[in-house]
Amino acid sequence: MKHLTEEQLVEHYFADDAESRIAAETHLRICRRCEQAYQEVSNVLAAPAPHPPVHMPGFGRQLWKSIQSPLPAYPAKPRPTWFSLPRLVVAGACLVSLVAAFVGGSHWQRSRKVPMEAANPALAKQRVVLFILDDHLDRSERLLVELSHTAGDKRVPNGSLQADSLQADSLQAEARQLLPDNRLYRQALASGDDPMMSATLDHLERVLLEVANSPDKLNAADIARIEREMKTDTLLFQVRVLRARNSSQETKVESLSKGASI
Amino acid sequence: MEKNDQALIRAVLAGNKDAYGDLAERHGETMFRVAYRITESESDAEEIVQETFLRSYRSLGEFDARSDFRTWIYRIAVNCALQLLAKRKKEGAVPITEEFDDEVSGIQLAQGGAGPERLLLDKEIEHRRRAAMEKMTEDERVAFVLRHLEGRSIEEIAAALGVTPNNAKQAVFRAVQKMRRALAPLWRAPLLGSRPGMKS
Repeated sequence: MKHLTEEQLVEHYFADDAESRIAAETHLRICRRCEQAYQEVSNVLAAPAPHPPVHMPGFGRQLWKSIQSPLPAYPAKPRPTWFSLPRLVVAGACLVSLVAAFVGGSHWQRSRKVPMEAANPALAKQRVVLFILDDHLDRSERLLVELSHTAGDKRVPNGSLQADSLQADSLQAEARQLLPDNRLYRQALASGDDPMMSATLDHLERVLLEVANSPDKLNAADIARIEREMKTDTLLFQVRVLRARNSSQETKVESLSKGASI
Repeated sequence: MEKNDQALIRAVLAGNKDAYGDLAERHGETMFRVAYRITESESDAEEIVQETFLRSYRSLGEFDARSDFRTWIYRIAVNCALQLLAKRKKEGAVPITEEFDDEVSGIQLAQGGAGPERLLLDKEIEHRRRAAMEKMTEDERVAFVLRHLEGRSIEEIAAALGVTPNNAKQAVFRAVQKMRRALAPLWRAPLLGSRPGMKS
């Protein structure tokens, strides 16, 4: 058995961490020789040391009184005077720099923007068209989705269809709003070189016409018929494809614009 | 509201000399206790405390505001104590205690009980303890007091003495060894005799 050294016994007496205490304790439990040695160390260290005399309260204050006279006070630091000349100069310089930076920045921004727009008006126009079209297609997509849900959800067991009249009304109102815009876009793009967009807008216009011009109270049978005859599912798919394509075009045009400005 | 140490130090450095009185009031007793335990002399302890607060006032401009004032002044007190111990040794101060015989068997008395035997034992313990303290070097003495009586960590002792933690640990060990050599004979015989049935 390996006994604890004197140093280890002393270390164990003062040990703060549980791990080293446990290791030594385990040995001390099984080794009489080390336990006796440890007992001896403990007895030695338990020998009473003289207690310091207790002072009356205010000992520190008395101590200070006894030593303070030869000590000079630290020189008081001058208070910062905010309106002293050097500070005013610094503040003025900061203000001038700030104004100069602002004016310079505005001028630089203007000088960069104007040539870009002047140099590439086609790009700017295309960005606007794409933005407006995206909004129009987004609203149309939502209308087609609503149309599809209304026809699908309201199917009753006997095969007849009962559309919610409130929902039908809102669908019609939305179709009436979209119709003139759609016509405008279709006519504007008819002469262009985007047959897919033209065809989709054409198809969409017919659906919108059908929904908008139905009898005042559009019923479920009407919606189901429109869905079937006008192939709105296909139209919905086409609209989604166009929106995705628009989105990528927008990114492209944006990067081109940035490139032009740099 | 009571100001903390940092605020008081700022006040002193800003020219308010009296704010230092609050610091002395707050830490004076602690520094006296440490100094007394190291020197075991009231007059020496008072001298050390005075010197400690004088030195710390003069060096307050160098005090790092991020540090703990108590730790800082503690180190100054330990330095003052070390210097005083060295001075006393140089002066050749006559030890109060006399040399003792490690193997004196006449004073090997039982620990418990009261009465004349106990008083005799206490007297002998105190006599040998003081002798052991005087045999310690300044570093050993300070390390022993800080570790054993003040409960400071090895790292704090090392910082106070300006030595490595390993050297501080060795100083504590050597001090305990000296103390053990002086006091252990008092317990050795009765202790062994009183525990006949111990495990081996």
